[in-house]
Amino acid sequence: MFNKILIANRGEIAVRIIRACKELGATTVAVYSDADRRSLHVTLADEAYHIGGSAPSESYLAIDKIIDVAKKSGAQAIHPGFGFLSENEEFAKRCEKEKIVFIGPSAEAIRLMGDKITARKIAQKEKVPLVPGSDGAVTDVEASVIAEKIGYPVMIKASAGGGGKGMRLVRDKNDFESALRMARSEARSSFGDDSVFVEQFVEQPRHVEIQIMADRHGNTLHLFERECSIQRRHQKVIEEAPSSAISEKTRKKMGEVAVRIAKAVKYSGAGTVEFIMDQKENFYFLEMNTRVQVEHPVTEMITGFDIVKWMVRIANGEKLPYKQKDLSINGWAVECRVYAEDPETNFMPSPGHLKYVKAPSGPGIRDDSSIYSGYEVTSYYDPMLSKLVVWAESREAAIDKMASALREYIVLGVKTNIGFLIRVMNNEEFRQGKLDTGFIERHPELLIPGEVDIEPALIAAALAVEDGEETIESDKGFQSNWKLLGRKAGLSGGSLI
Amino acid sequence: MTYTFKIKDKVFSVEIEKEKDQTVVKINEKDIPVEFEKIDDNLYSIILDGKSLTIGVLKDGKNLQVFMDGDLFEIQAISERDQRKSSQVLSGVQEIKSPMPSRVVKILKEVGDEVVADEGVVVVEAMKMESELKSPIDGRVTNVEVNEGDAVEAGTTLLIVSSE
Repeated sequence: MFNKILIANRGEIAVRIIRACKELGATTVAVYSDADRRSLHVTLADEAYHIGGSAPSESYLAIDKIIDVAKKSGAQAIHPGFGFLSENEEFAKRCEKEKIVFIGPSAEAIRLMGDKITARKIAQKEKVPLVPGSDGAVTDVEASVIAEKIGYPVMIKASAGGGGKGMRLVRDKNDFESALRMARSEARSSFGDDSVFVEQFVEQPRHVEIQIMADRHGNTLHLFERECSIQRRHQKVIEEAPSSAISEKTRKKMGEVAVRIAKAVKYSGAGTVEFIMDQKENFYFLEMNTRVQVEHPVTEMITGFDIVKWMVRIANGEKLPYKQKDLSINGWAVECRVYAEDPETNFMPSPGHLKYVKAPSGPGIRDDSSIYSGYEVTSYYDPMLSKLVVWAESREAAIDKMASALREYIVLGVKTNIGFLIRVMNNEEFRQGKLDTGFIERHPELLIPGEVDIEPALIAAALAVEDGEETIESDKGFQSNWKLLGRKAGLSGGSLI
Repeated sequence: MTYTFKIKDKVFSVEIEKEKDQTVVKINEKDIPVEFEKIDDNLYSIILDGKSLTIGVLKDGKNLQVFMDGDLFEIQAISERDQRKSSQVLSGVQEIKSPMPSRVVKILKEVGDEVVADEGVVVVEAMKMESELKSPIDGRVTNVEVNEGDAVEAGTTLLIVSSE
């Protein structure tokens, strides 16, 4: 095993990786920006090095600085987490050049899957089902011709995209031109590349993905599916495993397809093959994420497989100890991403100082977080505070457990989506598993508190105001006592001491 | 003590009476016995008729954020002075007066013009600072008592707005 591992990330995923590395007996090295001196990944790691300014480009994306720290500290391997440099081909190459192990797939696999058009071509070659659309980047004229041919609604997507950036849904032919312009400009500003492709829009799509785990000895396994259909602004908010929408037959087929794609790029480590699925279980390849996924814990909960530890072991050359037939699904897991954001104002981030934090606990409850009372949520990074994950024997029991756990969660100081998440858990459609990626848009009523008994809130407000007034009064008393004492001392011509 | 709170457009009156061992809260004339413990700087455990609740309260001047069951409620504390002001707002004839010795810079409304509450009607200048005086009510301008450029004393009526 590696003696020392550098974690080139921050927040809860850095914390998750630090814990896994420690359990494996490795010394952990954190890197941090100006804004992160007080962050949990810094205090939890065995070693920590400041690498620059708060803007990601000055720190967590600064390849030279991170490599320097790895060399200086003697780290033999780097775990990139997700986001930042995790899918950066140059970084993987640089690690190789510097003889530092990159805990992830090869630079080549990152390159092939990183470009959506190349990925699509590979999928095509492997006879993986694809959503009908343009075979690659298109000019404006080609785009409208193809849109016409496959029929509206269509999706315009950035070739270099991800996270919903540079993506536009067009239902009407008349909106196509302006949507194309906006998608290109968003793609240019987000990825520095304005090439886009066009494909058919799958109505009421569900997002289902397969977790891949491959070692460097040719063994490629899948750890079943996750369903991540509850999204806001094309970003996942609630994930679960398994999916309530697929039959055993589809599960098997989807798993095999995912393994085929992974093998085609000689994948190693943890990866995720994402599919879009219609309500009749027809699924189409979306993309492959060549990193650990935010929602990996739900898979860990139903398989008992520690994905992060195995990423490290695989990078160290170890063989996967299982065959596909050894793996099975046990129970149900649900994950909610707790964000510092305001559901009432289109999920606008809400940075601030956390005055008080109390996370839920109990059997089957896992809180992957990086916050604590006194922590400052800055506007430099993603406003995710925590991933609350629960496991239970059935979907219904897991949802009940999640609802109960969320009600235990207390975060004071910023706006959060906790109330919204509770309402989703109690929503009948959600409970019945009637999910698709338009769920949140279809349920604006979940964004705001419903009929609540406001009296307790008023009572608490009154107690707090009264408490404040008492404090002020006692402050006055404190001062006047001193004054009084001073006066007395003055009058008597004596001194205070 | 009686406190007045505003949540969105609703106004609530909350009175706290502390007797020997018992705190009673009166909300809009209803008595509620309260048992409470402050368990952290901003966190209260409250028991109402056996029902146990944990509620967080953050104060920023008159603005309070109350965290309850995962949701954050924005509550505004209204002082008695604010209330007096707001009770005047309702209707009637309002004289817009100069708050201090100043010079009338601009009259924004003419006799007969309609105005809405919080809309500026006169701009005055004092201590090299211009400030816009606003109508406290919805109504119509019935009189303009000064001219632009006039120097006025504190309390001089500049303009009259009537809701009738």
